[in-house]
Amino acid sequence: MALGVFLSRCGGRIESALDIQAALAGVAGRASVVRVLDDFFDAGVAEGISRDIEEHRLDAVVLAGHSEEHFAKSLSASHLRDAIVAAGVNANRVAAANILEQCALAHPDDVAGATAKARAIIDVAATRAEMAEAVEGEMIRPRSSVLILGVTAEAVVAAQRLLRLGYSVVLADREDGSKRAGRAFEMHATTSYVLDHPQARVIDSARLQDGDGYLGDFRIVLESADGLETYRVGGILLARPDHTEWVSELRQHFRVDVDDAGFARSLDPAMHPAETVDPGIMVMPLRRSDAQQVDKVAAADAAAMALVLKLSHDTVVHYRDTSAVDTALCGGCATCVRTCAFGACSISDDGFSDVDIRRCVGCGKCVVSCPVGARDIVSSPHDYLLGAVRDLARAKVEGDKVIGFLCGGCGYPAADSAASTVAGRGVGYPSSFLPLRIPCGGRLDALYVLEAFKVGFEGVCVYRCREGHCHNLVGNLDMDRRVNLLRTVLRSRNIDDARLRIIDISPFEGEHFIHTLEEVYSTIGGLANGKGGPL
Amino acid sequence: MSKPTLATVSLGGCEGCHVSLLDAHEGLLDLLEAADLVHSPFSGDEEIPAHVDVVMVEGAITTEEDLRRLHAARASATTLVAVGSCAVLGGIGGLRNLSPVAEVKARAFGDHVTKSERLPRLRRLVQPLSDFVEIDISVPGCAPETGLIVDALVAAVSGNEFSFGVRNLCDECHREKRALLEHSSEFVSDDVLALMELDEIDPKRCFLEQGLICMGPMTREGCGAKCTAANVPCRGCMGPSRLDYEQGAKTIDALAAVLPAGGIMYMDDLIGTGYRFSMPVSVFPGALDHEGGDDD
Ligand code: SF4
Ligand code: SF4
Ligand code: SF4
Ligand code: SF4
Ligand code: SF4
Repeated sequence: MALGVFLSRCGGRIESALDIQAALAGVAGRASVVRVLDDFFDAGVAEGISRDIEEHRLDAVVLAGHSEEHFAKSLSASHLRDAIVAAGVNANRVAAANILEQCALAHPDDVAGATAKARAIIDVAATRAEMAEAVEGEMIRPRSSVLILGVTAEAVVAAQRLLRLGYSVVLADREDGSKRAGRAFEMHATTSYVLDHPQARVIDSARLQDGDGYLGDFRIVLESADGLETYRVGGILLARPDHTEWVSELRQHFRVDVDDAGFARSLDPAMHPAETVDPGIMVMPLRRSDAQQVDKVAAADAAAMALVLKLSHDTVVHYRDTSAVDTALCGGCATCVRTCAFGACSISDDGFSDVDIRRCVGCGKCVVSCPVGARDIVSSPHDYLLGAVRDLARAKVEGDKVIGFLCGGCGYPAADSAASTVAGRGVGYPSSFLPLRIPCGGRLDALYVLEAFKVGFEGVCVYRCREGHCHNLVGNLDMDRRVNLLRTVLRSRNIDDARLRIIDISPFEGEHFIHTLEEVYSTIGGLANGKGGPL
Repeated sequence: MSKPTLATVSLGGCEGCHVSLLDAHEGLLDLLEAADLVHSPFSGDEEIPAHVDVVMVEGAITTEEDLRRLHAARASATTLVAVGSCAVLGGIGGLRNLSPVAEVKARAFGDHVTKSERLPRLRRLVQPLSDFVEIDISVPGCAPETGLIVDALVAAVSGNEFSFGVRNLCDECHREKRALLEHSSEFVSDDVLALMELDEIDPKRCFLEQGLICMGPMTREGCGAKCTAANVPCRGCMGPSRLDYEQGAKTIDALAAVLPAGGIMYMDDLIGTGYRFSMPVSVFPGALDHEGGDDD
């Protein structure tokens, strides 16, 4: 396995806060190429990395710099990833080592600590890049049809744009025709263009009954006065992100983030107002009560544009970050069937678990619930997570070591946003806090917690989504139940269960992140018994 | 050519595994046809002969004397067969690892009993054989199914490989699942019950769906699901199907997904339920910060 490690100075923000050479020292021995670049997103950098990949026949790449989450959001970052994949590295073997938010920005007053932590994070990312299985992307010819949920003024504007570009559109509304017409009447000409268009269909009094699939190819079942009907669309536009019934129906089948009011939320209100965690689902930004017509049109344009950007290609690639079943181990106990919130697991006729890859979102809850380890998900394999716990424990940082299992939905972005809170107050949090990203709180295996104590962590905290906000519906609550039972196990071994903390957080709550971390440190600092370490 | 030799040794166990072997009745004749039994707990001789082809060891390492005898067995054996969950996983006695040795002794013998000089020193932890020596064949179970022991010993004396299934017990359990096969966000049962709380237990339906804790999902197959066939939930005596997956932790991970975790029975003895036979092979094989073995 030939590994390439590329470290971005992130425009100078990295080198002022840590010793780059020392941070790379651990990985230098195992990498074929190690390069330090000024910034990943400078012109020509992607081409340079691609050349290295081809020249050195790299199989795995670590991008040390920005957060993993950044790569899911930013257009420039996805351009970089696409270039790396095009140069021949499997998409699942590109790993981000977040040394910007988690080290450089988090510990401005602790160069040694930030460096040691960065070194551990880079090592862990290298392991992840090397050991993750190659995933075959599925080539999808995107369907040129779009489902719009909620017939609002914005919805008809977006529909008009899509119809003009040759897409067919299904507009579904909760209400019957009389009320809907009133709402969309504001833009009379547009409304009649859309409603009379041969490529448009309007479904009144609709409910979303079922759905599966992904960007380019969704299957949606709507229930209305006409009964159940199935639609195949390439993308979904949620015109009423504040309509909690639509939102909760969508959430039964797809990943949709919600805010405190239960409204659908975009990835980033400032930079990516339409995109959601699911690349095939867009939201119209929330309409303010004083919104002018021009605001509504702009919002509709933005959402339609975001979707067209994705659907206008000949093919889109879908990487199946799904759960795989090892039938040599599966005994058909069906625990996974009950655990999967998306109905993606079933027991097939041969008695083994079967995964419906159109429904699986790769949350990993079934991996945890499978009592024999017959399952794994490709992006966060069990062996990697367990190994990462051990690797992080070896970081040479000062003070009580605490491992943070950070759910990718909330905990990890919250830790990222803590970076700006640190900048505001000028003092970092302890660099002996070592983060490990997990796809969902529900992916927290009891074994990882036990292992963390065994390898010497003084504390374990789990940052997970607030109730009702979990990407995976109930991954957070499943974890709570497990962790509360696990406390009994810890106490039985004389490990004070106050060393294990679950913390609820939302993605943008950097301040809360730091505050709770301080609490964690003061709690474990006062505990006498139950220090980890081998027996 | 003379027949291969066989010896059986009993360490820290209850000799139930030997009884399971005796249960083979005529089957024993086949075994004795294939090998000469040169030493056993019933044979009188204290020490194992210097060279034996196959040695079956029952029981865990609980005292210094167990350890000495294990090393002697290993030194004399060409093939060492660990039989029973005590030998393979530490077994049910491993639950004592959670308490300091002094407390264990006080519970067992009372506070005012002095120990004879001749009794071996109790070790702090009960441990499986594999913590000390290399094992050639492992047969877990408490006690293991007679057929499994005989098959393993016959294979060993004939110099053959021996292996059996690694899936979970549900694979061989005949009970029918209905609720578990359906996607739903509800638990498969509203409650968690003790056996005696039910007037009647449906003999055909999966225990979990009836609200009874069954360790089948967390337990390795191989026993033929004899308990569940006898209308008794599995207690997990075969141990986990992969040793790197601890049975107790997985009990939590798996059962909390299907049963209401607040179930009283389960909460009452979570540890005894999940780790009944396998505490000594868990991530923390005992409690931390306890003193050493006795006489320390
Ligand atoms: S990874 Fe999540 S969505 Fe996929 S099968 Fe498992 S539990 Fe279901
Ligand atoms: S939980 Fe594991 S063993 Fe049970 S059916 Fe699912 S994959 Fe198979
Ligand atoms: S495994 Fe069970 S039957 Fe065998 S010695 Fe141990 S306690 Fe007795
Ligand atoms: S009764 Fe127990 S062993 Fe049988 S299928 Fe149900 S859980 Fe599995
Ligand atoms: S059913 Fe369970 S408890 Fe009974 S013998 Fe088999 S493994 Fe042991």
